Amino acid sequence: MNNSQVSAVTEVISLVPDKLYSVASTIRLDGSVSSYPANATGYTKGHCYLLKEGKDALLLDTGYTAHRSAIIASLRGILAEGDELSIYPLRLNEYMSVCNVEMIAQTFRAKQCYSGNPDASLWVGFSRHVERPDDYQLKTTLVARRQEIDLGSAGERKLQAFQAPIRLIGTRWVMDPSTGTLFSSDSFTHEWSRTTHGPWVIDDADDVAAMPHIRSFLLNTRYWWLEGGKTEELCAKIDAVRRDYSIERIAPGYGKITEGRAAVDRQFDRLIEALRSLDRSVTPSAYVDRDLIR
Amino acid sequence: MTAPHLRKGTPRELAPGVHWLGDCLEQHANGKIYHTYNAAYLVIGTEASLLVETGHPKDYPLLAGQLQSLLEGQPPLRYLFVTHQETPHSGGLGRILEDYDDVILCGDMSDYHLAFPQFADRMKPMRDGDSIDLGGRRFHVVEPVIRDLRTTWWGFDDKEKVLFPGDGFAYSHYHEDGHCGLFAEEAISLNIPEVSAVFADRALFWTKFTDMKHYADRLEYIVKKLDARYIAPAHGLPIIDPATTFPKIKEGLLYGSSVPESGTETGPTKAA
Repeated sequence: MNNSQVSAVTEVISLVPDKLYSVASTIRLDGSVSSYPANATGYTKGHCYLLKEGKDALLLDTGYTAHRSAIIASLRGILAEGDELSIYPLRLNEYMSVCNVEMIAQTFRAKQCYSGNPDASLWVGFSRHVERPDDYQLKTTLVARRQEIDLGSAGERKLQAFQAPIRLIGTRWVMDPSTGTLFSSDSFTHEWSRTTHGPWVIDDADDVAAMPHIRSFLLNTRYWWLEGGKTEELCAKIDAVRRDYSIERIAPGYGKITEGRAAVDRQFDRLIEALRSLDRSVTPSAYVDRDLIR
Repeated sequence: MTAPHLRKGTPRELAPGVHWLGDCLEQHANGKIYHTYNAAYLVIGTEASLLVETGHPKDYPLLAGQLQSLLEGQPPLRYLFVTHQETPHSGGLGRILEDYDDVILCGDMSDYHLAFPQFADRMKPMRDGDSIDLGGRRFHVVEPVIRDLRTTWWGFDDKEKVLFPGDGFAYSHYHEDGHCGLFAEEAISLNIPEVSAVFADRALFWTKFTDMKHYADRLEYIVKKLDARYIAPAHGLPIIDPATTFPKIKEGLLYGSSVPESGTETGPTKAA
Protein backbone atom coordinates (compact mmCIF):
# COMPACT_ATOMS: atom_id res chain seq x y z
CA MET A 1 0.00 0.00 0.00
CA ASN A 2 1.38 3.41 -0.81
CA ASN A 3 0.36 6.97 -1.38
CA SER A 4 -0.18 6.45 -5.08
CA GLN A 5 -3.40 4.70 -4.11
CA VAL A 6 -4.70 7.92 -2.59
CA SER A 7 -6.19 10.41 -5.00
CA ALA A 8 -6.07 13.74 -3.24
CA VAL A 9 -8.63 15.38 -5.51
CA THR A 10 -10.88 17.53 -3.37
CA GLU A 11 -13.54 19.78 -4.84
CA VAL A 12 -16.30 22.01 -3.58
CA ILE A 13 -19.80 21.09 -4.74
CA SER A 14 -22.22 23.97 -4.23
CA LEU A 15 -25.57 22.37 -3.42
CA VAL A 16 -27.49 25.47 -2.30
CA PRO A 17 -25.56 28.69 -2.96
CA ASP A 18 -24.49 30.45 0.27
CA LYS A 19 -26.28 27.77 2.29
CA LEU A 20 -24.88 24.31 1.66
CA TYR A 21 -21.67 22.94 0.19
CA SER A 22 -19.93 19.60 0.02
CA VAL A 23 -16.18 19.58 0.35
CA ALA A 24 -15.80 16.30 -1.51
CA SER A 25 -12.60 14.26 -1.64
CA THR A 26 -12.00 11.44 -4.09
CA ILE A 27 -11.35 8.01 -2.61
CA ARG A 28 -10.13 5.15 -4.74
CA LEU A 29 -11.96 1.86 -4.21
CA ASP A 30 -9.80 -1.25 -4.47
CA GLY A 31 -10.93 -3.37 -1.53
CA SER A 32 -9.05 -1.26 1.01
CA VAL A 33 -11.91 0.97 2.16
CA SER A 34 -14.02 -0.57 4.91
CA SER A 35 -17.18 1.31 3.91
CA TYR A 36 -17.34 -0.40 0.51
CA PRO A 37 -17.52 -4.04 -0.52
CA ALA A 38 -14.18 -5.81 -0.75
CA ASN A 39 -14.78 -6.35 -4.46
CA ALA A 40 -15.83 -2.77 -5.30
CA THR A 41 -13.58 -0.94 -7.74
CA GLY A 42 -13.70 2.62 -8.99
CA TYR A 43 -14.00 5.85 -7.05
CA THR A 44 -16.21 7.52 -4.52
CA LYS A 45 -16.37 10.83 -2.72
CA GLY A 46 -15.99 11.40 1.00
CA HIS A 47 -18.16 14.41 1.88
CA CYS A 48 -17.68 17.08 4.52
CA TYR A 49 -20.82 19.20 4.39
CA LEU A 50 -20.59 22.87 5.24
CA LEU A 51 -23.87 24.55 6.19
CA LYS A 52 -23.82 28.35 6.26
CA GLU A 53 -26.30 30.80 7.71
CA GLY A 54 -24.99 34.35 7.71
CA LYS A 55 -21.75 34.33 9.71
CA ASP A 56 -22.56 31.01 11.34
CA ALA A 57 -21.30 27.76 9.82
CA LEU A 58 -21.51 24.07 10.70
CA LEU A 59 -19.26 21.37 9.28
CA LEU A 60 -20.65 17.83 9.26
CA ASP A 61 -17.69 15.40 9.27
CA THR A 62 -14.07 16.27 8.65
CA GLY A 63 -12.63 13.73 6.20
CA TYR A 64 -9.47 11.64 6.15
CA THR A 65 -5.98 12.87 7.01
CA ALA A 66 -4.88 12.13 3.44
CA HIS A 67 -7.17 14.93 2.26
CA ARG A 68 -6.55 17.30 5.17
CA SER A 69 -4.77 20.16 3.45
CA ALA A 70 -7.14 20.16 0.49
CA ILE A 71 -10.17 20.14 2.80
CA ILE A 72 -8.80 23.02 4.87
CA ALA A 73 -7.94 24.97 1.71
CA SER A 74 -11.46 24.39 0.41
CA LEU A 75 -13.00 25.57 3.67
CA ARG A 76 -10.84 28.71 3.54
CA GLY A 77 -12.32 29.38 0.12
CA ILE A 78 -15.90 29.20 1.41
CA LEU A 79 -15.63 30.70 4.89
CA ALA A 80 -15.27 34.47 5.15
CA GLU A 81 -13.37 36.49 7.72
CA GLY A 82 -15.34 36.52 10.95
CA ASP A 83 -17.41 33.42 10.20
CA GLU A 84 -17.94 31.21 13.24
CA LEU A 85 -17.48 27.51 12.58
CA SER A 86 -18.91 24.60 14.57
CA ILE A 87 -18.13 20.96 13.85
CA TYR A 88 -20.34 17.90 14.16
CA PRO A 89 -18.82 14.48 13.36
CA LEU A 90 -21.74 12.17 12.70
CA ARG A 91 -19.76 8.97 13.38
CA LEU A 92 -17.47 9.71 16.31
CA ASN A 93 -15.78 6.29 16.12
CA GLU A 94 -14.90 6.36 12.43
CA TYR A 95 -11.83 7.95 10.87
CA MET A 96 -13.67 9.31 7.85
CA SER A 97 -15.69 11.51 10.22
CA VAL A 98 -13.09 12.51 12.77
CA CYS A 99 -9.54 12.50 11.37
CA ASN A 100 -9.43 16.26 10.93
CA VAL A 101 -11.57 17.54 13.81
CA GLU A 102 -8.57 18.77 15.79
CA MET A 103 -6.77 20.43 12.91
CA ILE A 104 -9.85 22.08 11.42
CA ALA A 105 -10.99 23.22 14.87
CA GLN A 106 -7.59 24.76 15.60
CA THR A 107 -7.22 26.30 12.14
CA PHE A 108 -10.61 28.02 12.21
CA ARG A 109 -10.82 28.45 16.01
CA ALA A 110 -14.04 26.46 15.95
CA LYS A 111 -16.70 27.66 18.34
CA GLN A 112 -17.73 24.17 19.43
CA CYS A 113 -17.91 20.53 18.56
CA TYR A 114 -21.30 18.86 18.85
CA SER A 115 -21.13 15.38 20.29
CA GLY A 116 -23.10 12.78 22.20
CA ASN A 117 -20.11 12.42 24.53
CA PRO A 118 -19.18 15.00 27.15
CA ASP A 119 -15.69 15.85 25.90
CA ALA A 120 -15.31 15.36 22.16
CA SER A 121 -11.66 16.41 22.26
CA LEU A 122 -10.85 13.16 24.07
CA TRP A 123 -12.15 11.19 21.09
CA VAL A 124 -10.33 12.91 18.25
CA GLY A 125 -6.63 13.14 19.16
CA PHE A 126 -4.73 10.83 16.83
CA SER A 127 -1.28 12.32 16.42
CA ARG A 128 1.30 14.23 18.39
CA HIS A 129 1.70 16.51 15.40
CA VAL A 130 -1.58 18.24 16.22
CA GLU A 131 -0.83 18.49 19.91
CA ARG A 132 1.24 21.63 19.62
CA PRO A 133 1.24 24.27 22.36
CA ASP A 134 -1.76 26.46 21.77
CA ASP A 135 -4.21 28.26 23.99
CA TYR A 136 -7.16 27.08 21.90
CA GLN A 137 -9.46 24.54 23.57
CA LEU A 138 -12.20 22.76 21.66
CA LYS A 139 -15.48 23.17 23.51
CA THR A 140 -18.02 20.34 23.40
CA THR A 141 -21.75 20.94 23.19
CA LEU A 142 -23.63 17.79 24.14
CA VAL A 143 -26.29 16.56 21.76
CA ALA A 144 -29.05 14.23 22.95
CA ARG A 145 -30.42 11.31 20.98
CA ARG A 146 -32.88 13.66 19.30
CA GLN A 147 -32.20 17.33 19.44
CA GLU A 148 -32.67 20.62 17.69
CA ILE A 149 -29.52 22.51 16.76
CA ASP A 150 -29.68 26.20 15.93
CA LEU A 151 -27.72 27.67 13.05
CA GLY A 152 -27.47 31.40 12.42
CA SER A 153 -26.70 34.27 14.79
CA ALA A 154 -30.33 34.37 15.93
CA GLY A 155 -30.85 30.61 15.64
CA GLU A 156 -33.05 31.12 12.61
CA ARG A 157 -32.12 27.85 10.90
CA LYS A 158 -33.27 24.88 12.92
CA LEU A 159 -31.58 21.54 12.31
CA GLN A 160 -32.86 18.24 13.69
CA ALA A 161 -30.21 15.76 14.82
CA PHE A 162 -31.25 12.23 15.72
CA GLN A 163 -29.95 8.70 16.03
CA ALA A 164 -29.69 6.96 12.69
CA PRO A 165 -32.62 4.56 12.35
CA ILE A 166 -30.25 1.96 10.90
CA ARG A 167 -26.63 1.86 11.96
CA LEU A 168 -23.67 -0.31 12.82
CA ILE A 169 -21.79 2.06 15.09
CA GLY A 170 -22.95 5.22 16.87
CA THR A 171 -24.33 7.34 14.03
CA ARG A 172 -26.45 10.48 13.77
CA TRP A 173 -28.54 11.74 10.92
CA VAL A 174 -29.29 15.44 10.58
CA MET A 175 -32.24 17.07 8.82
CA ASP A 176 -31.99 20.62 7.57
CA PRO A 177 -35.58 21.62 6.74
CA SER A 178 -34.55 24.98 5.28
CA THR A 179 -32.75 23.27 2.38
CA GLY A 180 -34.77 20.03 2.48
CA THR A 181 -31.55 18.10 3.05
CA LEU A 182 -31.22 14.86 4.99
CA PHE A 183 -27.62 14.17 6.00
CA SER A 184 -27.71 10.40 6.14
CA SER A 185 -24.14 9.61 7.21
CA ASP A 186 -23.41 5.98 6.27
CA SER A 187 -26.83 5.25 4.73
CA PHE A 188 -27.72 5.79 1.06
CA THR A 189 -24.02 5.35 0.31
CA HIS A 190 -24.42 2.55 -2.22
CA GLU A 191 -23.58 4.56 -5.35
CA TRP A 192 -20.05 5.07 -6.61
CA SER A 193 -18.42 5.73 -9.96
CA ARG A 194 -16.09 3.94 -12.34
CA THR A 195 -14.13 7.14 -12.92
CA THR A 196 -12.96 10.10 -10.87
CA HIS A 197 -15.39 12.31 -12.79
CA GLY A 198 -18.55 11.00 -11.18
CA PRO A 199 -21.20 12.23 -11.69
CA TRP A 200 -21.60 12.77 -7.94
CA VAL A 201 -25.19 13.98 -7.95
CA ILE A 202 -28.20 11.85 -8.98
CA ASP A 203 -31.17 13.99 -9.95
CA ASP A 204 -33.18 11.56 -12.04
CA ALA A 205 -35.19 8.85 -10.28
CA ASP A 206 -34.40 6.51 -13.15
CA ASP A 207 -30.72 6.68 -12.23
CA VAL A 208 -31.26 5.33 -8.72
CA ALA A 209 -29.65 1.92 -8.31
CA ALA A 210 -31.84 -1.15 -8.54
CA MET A 211 -32.85 -2.98 -5.37
CA PRO A 212 -30.51 -5.99 -5.86
CA HIS A 213 -27.52 -3.65 -5.97
CA ILE A 214 -28.60 -1.93 -2.76
CA ARG A 215 -29.26 -5.26 -1.06
CA SER A 216 -25.86 -6.57 -2.12
CA PHE A 217 -24.14 -3.36 -0.99
CA LEU A 218 -25.73 -3.59 2.45
CA LEU A 219 -24.74 -7.22 2.92
CA ASN A 220 -21.19 -6.73 1.69
CA THR A 221 -20.45 -3.74 3.88
CA ARG A 222 -21.38 -2.82 7.43
CA TYR A 223 -24.87 -4.27 7.18
CA TRP A 224 -23.63 -7.84 6.71
CA TRP A 225 -25.87 -8.93 9.63
CA LEU A 226 -29.24 -8.06 8.08
CA GLU A 227 -30.06 -11.33 6.35
CA GLY A 228 -32.85 -13.11 8.24
CA GLY A 229 -33.01 -10.29 10.80
CA LYS A 230 -35.80 -8.12 12.17
CA THR A 231 -35.60 -5.74 9.25
CA GLU A 232 -39.29 -4.81 9.24
CA GLU A 233 -38.54 -2.85 12.41
CA LEU A 234 -35.78 -0.99 10.61
CA CYS A 235 -38.05 -0.28 7.64
CA ALA A 236 -40.60 1.30 9.96
CA LYS A 237 -37.96 3.54 11.52
CA ILE A 238 -36.62 4.62 8.13
CA ASP A 239 -40.06 5.25 6.70
CA ALA A 240 -40.89 7.37 9.74
CA VAL A 241 -38.01 9.68 8.84
CA ARG A 242 -39.42 10.08 5.34
CA ARG A 243 -42.87 10.80 6.76
CA ASP A 244 -41.62 13.28 9.35
CA TYR A 245 -39.66 15.50 7.00
CA SER A 246 -39.98 17.03 3.58
CA ILE A 247 -36.80 15.66 2.05
CA GLU A 248 -35.63 17.11 -1.25
CA ARG A 249 -32.03 15.97 -1.04
CA ILE A 250 -30.14 13.05 0.52
CA ALA A 251 -26.59 13.99 1.41
CA PRO A 252 -24.70 10.85 2.48
CA GLY A 253 -21.33 10.90 4.19
CA TYR A 254 -19.82 9.21 1.16
CA GLY A 255 -20.99 8.27 -2.32
CA LYS A 256 -23.44 10.14 -4.53
CA ILE A 257 -25.83 12.87 -3.46
CA THR A 258 -29.48 12.46 -4.44
CA GLU A 259 -31.43 15.56 -5.55
CA GLY A 260 -35.16 16.05 -6.07
CA ARG A 261 -38.23 14.57 -4.46
CA ALA A 262 -38.77 11.85 -7.04
CA ALA A 263 -35.22 10.55 -6.79
CA VAL A 264 -35.29 10.81 -2.98
CA ASP A 265 -38.51 8.82 -2.82
CA ARG A 266 -37.05 6.20 -5.13
CA GLN A 267 -34.02 5.85 -2.85
CA PHE A 268 -36.22 5.34 0.19
CA ASP A 269 -38.46 2.89 -1.66
CA ARG A 270 -35.52 0.83 -2.86
CA LEU A 271 -33.77 0.78 0.51
CA ILE A 272 -36.95 -0.32 2.23
CA GLU A 273 -37.59 -2.90 -0.49
CA ALA A 274 -34.07 -4.28 -0.01
CA LEU A 275 -34.51 -4.45 3.76
CA ARG A 276 -37.91 -6.13 3.44
CA SER A 277 -36.39 -8.79 1.21
CA LEU A 278 -34.01 -9.64 4.08
CA ASP A 279 -36.58 -9.88 6.86
CA ARG A 280 -36.74 -13.05 8.91
CA SER A 281 -40.29 -13.62 7.67
CA VAL A 282 -38.97 -14.25 4.15
CA THR A 283 -35.26 -15.10 4.55
CA PRO A 284 -33.72 -17.61 6.95
CA SER A 285 -30.98 -16.36 9.25
CA ALA A 286 -27.56 -17.95 9.46
CA TYR A 287 -24.09 -17.26 10.75
CA VAL A 288 -22.35 -14.92 8.29
CA ASP A 289 -18.71 -15.55 7.58
CA ARG A 290 -16.49 -12.48 7.43
CA ASP A 291 -15.60 -12.80 3.76
CA LEU A 292 -18.88 -14.00 2.35
CA ILE A 293 -19.71 -11.91 -0.72
CA ARG A 294 -23.42 -11.80 -1.52
CA MET B 1 -19.22 -6.38 46.01
CA THR B 2 -15.52 -7.04 45.82
CA ALA B 3 -13.26 -7.60 48.81
CA PRO B 4 -10.61 -4.87 49.17
CA HIS B 5 -7.74 -7.37 48.79
CA LEU B 6 -8.99 -8.16 45.28
CA ARG B 7 -8.87 -4.57 44.04
CA LYS B 8 -6.51 -4.50 41.08
CA GLY B 9 -5.53 -2.16 38.32
CA THR B 10 -3.95 -2.20 34.91
CA PRO B 11 -1.39 -3.10 33.76
CA ARG B 12 -2.00 -6.61 34.97
CA GLU B 13 -0.55 -9.92 33.80
CA LEU B 14 -3.32 -12.06 32.35
CA ALA B 15 -1.14 -15.02 31.42
CA PRO B 16 2.64 -15.48 31.38
CA GLY B 17 3.92 -12.84 28.95
CA VAL B 18 0.49 -11.39 28.24
CA HIS B 19 -0.41 -8.11 29.95
CA TRP B 20 -3.71 -6.26 30.15
CA LEU B 21 -3.39 -2.48 29.62
CA GLY B 22 -5.73 0.45 29.25
CA ASP B 23 -8.47 2.23 31.11
CA CYS B 24 -12.21 2.40 31.60
CA LEU B 25 -14.71 4.68 29.93
CA GLU B 26 -17.70 5.83 31.93
CA GLN B 27 -21.14 5.11 30.51
CA HIS B 28 -24.52 6.27 31.72
CA ALA B 29 -27.45 3.93 31.17
CA ASN B 30 -30.67 3.02 32.95
CA GLY B 31 -30.01 5.83 35.43
CA LYS B 32 -26.76 4.17 36.52
CA ILE B 33 -23.05 4.65 35.89
CA TYR B 34 -21.30 1.75 34.20
CA HIS B 35 -17.68 1.37 33.18
CA THR B 36 -16.37 -0.28 30.05
CA TYR B 37 -12.79 -1.01 29.05
CA ASN B 38 -11.15 -0.06 25.79
CA ALA B 39 -8.28 -2.37 26.57
CA ALA B 40 -4.98 -3.15 24.88
CA TYR B 41 -2.80 -6.20 25.52
CA LEU B 42 0.96 -6.63 25.33
CA VAL B 43 2.26 -10.03 24.21
CA ILE B 44 5.96 -10.58 24.94
CA GLY B 45 7.99 -13.19 23.08
CA THR B 46 11.68 -14.01 23.39
CA GLU B 47 12.54 -11.96 20.29
CA ALA B 48 9.82 -9.36 19.89
CA SER B 49 6.74 -7.91 21.55
CA LEU B 50 3.35 -7.25 20.03
CA LEU B 51 0.61 -4.90 21.12
CA VAL B 52 -3.02 -5.89 20.51
CA GLU B 53 -5.27 -2.82 20.12
CA THR B 54 -4.28 0.68 21.19
CA GLY B 55 -7.18 1.63 23.41
CA HIS B 56 -9.27 4.75 23.17
CA PRO B 57 -7.58 7.97 21.98
CA LYS B 58 -8.07 9.47 25.45
CA ASP B 59 -6.10 6.62 27.04
CA TYR B 60 -2.86 7.02 25.12
CA PRO B 61 -0.94 8.95 27.82
CA LEU B 62 -1.78 6.19 30.32
CA LEU B 63 -1.09 3.42 27.82
CA ALA B 64 2.25 4.96 26.84
CA GLY B 65 3.41 4.89 30.45
CA GLN B 66 2.20 1.33 30.97
CA LEU B 67 3.95 0.19 27.81
CA GLN B 68 7.19 1.87 28.70
CA SER B 69 7.35 0.23 32.12
CA LEU B 70 6.37 -3.23 30.85
CA LEU B 71 8.85 -3.17 27.97
CA GLU B 72 11.81 -2.30 30.16
CA GLY B 73 14.34 -5.11 29.74
CA GLN B 74 12.03 -7.00 27.38
CA PRO B 75 12.27 -7.72 23.65
CA PRO B 76 11.33 -4.57 21.73
CA LEU B 77 7.88 -3.70 20.53
CA ARG B 78 7.88 -4.68 16.85
CA TYR B 79 4.22 -5.25 15.98
CA LEU B 80 0.87 -3.59 16.52
CA PHE B 81 -2.19 -5.69 15.71
CA VAL B 82 -5.53 -3.86 15.71
CA THR B 83 -8.74 -5.90 15.43
CA HIS B 84 -10.51 -3.21 13.43
CA GLN B 85 -10.55 0.45 12.49
CA GLU B 86 -13.00 1.86 15.04
CA THR B 87 -11.21 4.55 17.02
CA PRO B 88 -11.80 3.05 20.51
CA HIS B 89 -9.69 0.12 19.24
CA SER B 90 -7.19 1.87 16.99
CA GLY B 91 -7.20 5.52 18.06
CA GLY B 92 -3.69 5.39 19.53
CA LEU B 93 -2.00 3.79 16.55
CA GLY B 94 -0.64 7.02 15.09
CA ARG B 95 1.08 7.85 18.36
CA ILE B 96 2.39 4.28 18.80
CA LEU B 97 3.95 4.45 15.33
CA GLU B 98 5.35 7.89 16.14
CA ASP B 99 6.83 6.68 19.44
CA TYR B 100 8.19 3.33 18.24
CA ASP B 101 10.04 3.69 14.93
CA ASP B 102 10.35 -0.06 14.31
CA VAL B 103 6.74 -1.02 14.89
CA ILE B 104 4.79 -2.50 11.97
CA LEU B 105 1.00 -2.21 11.93
CA CYS B 106 -0.63 -5.61 11.21
CA GLY B 107 -4.10 -6.89 10.43
CA ASP B 108 -6.66 -5.69 7.90
CA MET B 109 -5.16 -2.44 6.64
CA SER B 110 -8.31 -0.91 5.19
CA ASP B 111 -8.69 2.84 5.74
CA TYR B 112 -5.34 3.29 7.48
CA HIS B 113 -3.64 4.49 4.29
CA LEU B 114 -6.17 7.33 4.32
CA ALA B 115 -6.19 8.01 8.05
CA PHE B 116 -2.43 7.63 8.57
CA PRO B 117 -0.85 8.12 5.12
CA GLN B 118 2.46 9.06 6.72
CA PHE B 119 2.82 5.44 7.89
CA ALA B 120 1.69 3.70 4.71
CA ASP B 121 5.07 1.98 4.38
CA ARG B 122 4.73 0.40 7.83
CA MET B 123 1.53 -1.56 7.22
CA LYS B 124 1.43 -5.34 6.86
CA PRO B 125 -1.88 -6.81 5.63
CA MET B 126 -2.73 -10.10 7.31
CA ARG B 127 -5.64 -12.49 7.10
CA ASP B 128 -6.97 -15.73 8.59
CA GLY B 129 -4.15 -18.26 8.81
CA ASP B 130 -1.32 -15.71 8.86
CA SER B 131 0.88 -15.53 11.92
CA ILE B 132 3.79 -13.62 13.43
CA ASP B 133 6.73 -15.28 15.19
CA LEU B 134 7.52 -13.44 18.42
CA GLY B 135 10.08 -16.00 19.56
CA GLY B 136 8.74 -18.88 21.63
CA ARG B 137 5.19 -18.03 20.68
CA ARG B 138 3.27 -17.16 17.54
CA PHE B 139 0.44 -14.68 17.18
CA HIS B 140 -2.22 -15.89 14.74
CA VAL B 141 -4.97 -14.05 12.90
CA VAL B 142 -8.25 -15.94 13.45
CA GLU B 143 -11.91 -15.80 12.49
CA PRO B 144 -13.81 -12.84 13.95
CA VAL B 145 -17.18 -14.20 15.09
CA ILE B 146 -18.60 -11.06 16.75
CA ARG B 147 -17.66 -7.99 14.76
CA ASP B 148 -18.87 -4.69 13.49
CA LEU B 149 -16.85 -3.31 10.55
CA ARG B 150 -16.46 -5.95 7.84
CA THR B 151 -12.69 -5.63 8.11
CA THR B 152 -12.43 -7.10 11.62
CA TRP B 153 -9.98 -9.89 12.54
CA TRP B 154 -9.35 -11.53 15.88
CA GLY B 155 -5.98 -12.67 17.24
CA PHE B 156 -4.69 -15.73 19.11
CA ASP B 157 -1.51 -16.39 21.08
CA ASP B 158 -0.58 -20.06 20.67
CA LYS B 159 1.73 -20.30 23.69
CA GLU B 160 -0.72 -19.46 26.44
CA LYS B 161 -3.76 -19.96 24.22
CA VAL B 162 -5.11 -16.44 24.64
CA LEU B 163 -7.91 -15.32 22.35
CA PHE B 164 -8.08 -11.58 21.52
CA PRO B 165 -11.67 -11.13 20.32
CA GLY B 166 -11.94 -7.35 19.88
CA ASP B 167 -15.66 -6.59 20.17
CA GLY B 168 -16.48 -10.15 21.22
CA PHE B 169 -17.14 -10.80 24.92
CA ALA B 170 -18.11 -7.13 25.28
CA TYR B 171 -19.82 -6.09 28.47
CA SER B 172 -19.71 -3.26 30.96
CA HIS B 173 -18.84 -3.61 34.64
CA TYR B 174 -19.74 -1.97 37.94
CA HIS B 175 -17.19 0.63 38.96
CA GLU B 176 -18.89 1.10 42.32
CA ASP B 177 -18.51 -2.59 43.09
CA GLY B 178 -14.76 -2.32 42.54
CA HIS B 179 -14.74 -4.31 39.31
CA CYS B 180 -12.22 -2.11 37.51
CA GLY B 181 -9.03 -4.11 37.01
CA LEU B 182 -10.59 -7.45 37.94
CA PHE B 183 -10.86 -10.57 35.83
CA ALA B 184 -14.43 -11.66 35.12
CA GLU B 185 -14.23 -14.53 37.59
CA GLU B 186 -13.13 -12.18 40.39
CA ALA B 187 -16.03 -9.76 39.88
CA ILE B 188 -18.49 -11.91 41.76
CA SER B 189 -21.34 -9.39 41.76
CA LEU B 190 -21.11 -8.89 38.00
CA ASN B 191 -24.38 -9.78 36.30
CA ILE B 192 -23.03 -10.64 32.86
CA PRO B 193 -26.41 -10.81 31.07
CA GLU B 194 -27.35 -7.37 32.41
CA VAL B 195 -24.04 -5.70 31.51
CA SER B 196 -23.97 -7.43 28.14
CA ALA B 197 -27.35 -5.86 27.41
CA VAL B 198 -26.06 -2.43 28.45
CA PHE B 199 -23.09 -2.70 26.12
CA ALA B 200 -25.12 -4.10 23.23
CA ASP B 201 -27.56 -1.24 23.57
CA ARG B 202 -24.83 1.34 23.23
CA ALA B 203 -22.36 -0.19 20.83
CA LEU B 204 -23.63 -3.37 19.21
CA PHE B 205 -26.92 -2.23 17.69
CA TRP B 206 -26.83 -5.04 15.12
CA THR B 207 -27.10 -7.74 17.76
CA LYS B 208 -30.66 -6.62 18.46
CA PHE B 209 -31.81 -7.25 14.92
CA THR B 210 -30.33 -10.63 14.12
CA ASP B 211 -30.59 -14.11 15.59
CA MET B 212 -27.65 -14.18 17.99
CA LYS B 213 -27.98 -17.91 18.61
CA HIS B 214 -25.96 -18.52 15.42
CA TYR B 215 -23.19 -16.26 16.72
CA ALA B 216 -23.26 -17.66 20.26
CA ASP B 217 -22.96 -21.19 18.86
CA ARG B 218 -20.12 -20.21 16.54
CA LEU B 219 -18.36 -18.46 19.39
CA GLU B 220 -18.53 -21.62 21.45
CA TYR B 221 -17.17 -23.59 18.49
CA ILE B 222 -14.21 -21.23 18.01
CA VAL B 223 -13.32 -21.15 21.72
CA LYS B 224 -13.32 -24.97 21.77
CA LYS B 225 -11.49 -25.33 18.46
CA LEU B 226 -8.70 -23.05 19.62
CA ASP B 227 -8.80 -24.55 23.12
CA ALA B 228 -8.63 -20.97 24.41
CA ARG B 229 -7.50 -20.84 28.04
CA TYR B 230 -7.77 -17.09 28.39
CA ILE B 231 -9.97 -14.54 26.68
CA ALA B 232 -8.74 -10.98 26.33
CA PRO B 233 -11.59 -8.77 25.09
CA ALA B 234 -11.30 -5.08 24.32
CA HIS B 235 -14.39 -4.08 26.30
CA GLY B 236 -15.19 -6.83 28.78
CA LEU B 237 -13.17 -7.97 31.78
CA PRO B 238 -10.58 -10.62 30.81
CA ILE B 239 -11.63 -14.22 31.33
CA ILE B 240 -9.32 -16.73 33.00
CA ASP B 241 -11.73 -19.67 33.22
CA PRO B 242 -13.65 -19.92 29.93
CA ALA B 243 -15.31 -23.20 30.88
CA THR B 244 -17.03 -21.56 33.84
CA THR B 245 -17.64 -18.13 32.34
CA PHE B 246 -18.56 -18.94 28.75
CA PRO B 247 -22.13 -20.11 29.58
CA LYS B 248 -22.76 -16.74 31.21
CA ILE B 249 -21.35 -14.96 28.16
CA LYS B 250 -23.62 -16.96 25.90
CA GLU B 251 -26.59 -16.16 28.09
CA GLY B 252 -25.55 -12.49 28.03
CA LEU B 253 -25.34 -12.43 24.24
CA LEU B 254 -28.81 -13.89 23.90
CA TYR B 255 -30.31 -11.73 26.64
CA GLY B 256 -28.63 -8.56 25.29
CA SER B 257 -30.09 -9.20 21.87
CA SER B 258 -33.56 -9.73 23.29
CA VAL B 259 -33.77 -6.34 25.02
CA PRO B 260 -35.16 -3.64 22.71
CA GLU B 261 -32.63 -0.98 21.78
CA SER B 262 -32.88 2.37 23.47
CA GLY B 263 -29.99 4.23 21.94
CA THR B 264 -26.45 5.39 22.52
CA GLU B 265 -25.18 8.41 24.38
CA THR B 266 -27.21 10.54 26.73
CA GLY B 267 -27.02 14.28 26.61
CA PRO B 268 -29.12 17.32 27.41
CA THR B 269 -32.30 17.98 25.52
CA LYS B 270 -31.32 21.25 23.90
CA ALA B 271 -28.03 22.38 22.40
CA ALA B 272 -26.97 25.99 22.59
